[in-house]
Amino acid sequence: MLDSKIGIFGLLSDAGPVVLFVLLVLLSFSVISWAIIAYKFGYVRKSLGESKAFLDYFFDVYNVDKAFTGSEQYKHGSLPRVFRAGYVEYRALGGKSDIHQAQARIARAIKREANLEGKRLSSLISFLATVGNTAPFIGLFGTVWGIMTSFQNIGQSQSASLAIVAPGISEALIATAAGLAAAIPAVMGYNYFSQQIGIIERDLEEFSPEFVAAFPAEPSTQQGI
Amino acid sequence: MKKAQSHPAEKKFFRWLVVAAGMHVGLFVFALYLQRWDAERHAKPPKIVSVSLVSLPGSGGPSGFSEEPAGEASTIPASLPETAALSQAQPEAVQPMQQKMLVPPPATPKSISVAQTKPVDKQEQINKALERLKQVVAKNAPAPSKPSPAGGMGNLNKALAQLEQRVKAQGYPGGGGQASGSGRGDGGSGRGGGGPYKAVIASIIQQNWEFSRQMLKSSYGMEVYVRIHILADGTIQQILFDRRAPSEYLNNSVKKALERSSLPAIPKDERASELWVGFVFTPEGIEK
Repeated sequence: MLDSKIGIFGLLSDAGPVVLFVLLVLLSFSVISWAIIAYKFGYVRKSLGESKAFLDYFFDVYNVDKAFTGSEQYKHGSLPRVFRAGYVEYRALGGKSDIHQAQARIARAIKREANLEGKRLSSLISFLATVGNTAPFIGLFGTVWGIMTSFQNIGQSQSASLAIVAPGISEALIATAAGLAAAIPAVMGYNYFSQQIGIIERDLEEFSPEFVAAFPAEPSTQQGI
Repeated sequence: MKKAQSHPAEKKFFRWLVVAAGMHVGLFVFALYLQRWDAERHAKPPKIVSVSLVSLPGSGGPSGFSEEPAGEASTIPASLPETAALSQAQPEAVQPMQQKMLVPPPATPKSISVAQTKPVDKQEQINKALERLKQVVAKNAPAPSKPSPAGGMGNLNKALAQLEQRVKAQGYPGGGGQASGSGRGDGGSGRGGGGPYKAVIASIIQQNWEFSRQMLKSSYGMEVYVRIHILADGTIQQILFDRRAPSEYLNNSVKKALERSSLPAIPKDERASELWVGFVFTPEGIEK
């Protein structure tokens, strides 16, 4: 079926090794980009949705223990994760240090978890940016190489009619088309995820002090906020 | 703990990787199917309908014969007004003999053999038409409606003479001597190249044909049916493409090859002052 000599596949079968290698690289870029887009789309969407739901719950219950218990059902949210890190630190203190020291330690734990969460969210996104920036150039390289080969063939055939020039150029242009086909979804995905991750990171920055302030001085005696 | 957390995430990512690869494969298969479908849709060979009409002298009555090479339609105009009365008086005498529709079979790339066989038919038809015309005129000559039968015969003879001249001028020397009513004769040699001569010119054209098969993306339907009109001195007067290949490269290469070729003069044993010779150019070579 793939030995067909028609259309794009006919051009592919006549392409040189360099152009084929370029196409292979671009194909793998495209596959990985789409996998990242699909994977991250679910991850970021869940994180955003659960963070919003947890914030509503957190301000409803007005109690760190209840909020911690409730946060267990928001396993993929970024804000619940950060809150849980603060709560674990708060419980680890066990009322041994004074209130300022305790808040500083909780704040550090929350900040550390927020940083981790930011890294987790933006992991693999840089690959999309790389593909978006480099794939057109890789495709262009394949095209330039293909046109060079094509001109050599034209020189050998000693004719410069359109019928001779056009097939080689169209063959070479496939690489540029493949580069654009890989780059366009990658750039779109990168922009979308950058915006969504930016929203989550702003939420983390905004609500981290709220979480720190929510923990009472003595965990065993005071339960309310 | 972290390993346990990252493991499902990696697993999930690899699952998406497999899905994306499958999606690309599916997209390729779909594109392939789409192209095949599109190619099949456009690959139907166009119907070539060639209708050749030759009108004999006369204003209203249909007359004549038809047998021209495929792809060419020529008409001998009714330029003999003196025969109009005759034709009107005897409309049943001249009837259209043949209107041929040719649809070239795409799957059988055979050479055009019309160049050798058809002139005989044409000449025969011309002769038949002339004979029939004469018979009818002779039968109706003493009819009272005719004011001057002698004048009618004169007109007929004139018309026949002019017709013969036209036939000769179009490269049918075998038509000579038909005015005497002798019938067929050797009219078949007027068209189509002889065997040895055709082989010689085919080899000359082949030598001048610069064509690289690698430049073709597909060999499907790559046939060019060409006829050339060769004058007595070997000059190619006319190049007719009966059927072009989908590749303009092949078409142009054939045209250039024919233009470059300087052919030898037609040998005397061909008994023709000019020839129509047909060739089929394929990526494999020239078929005669």
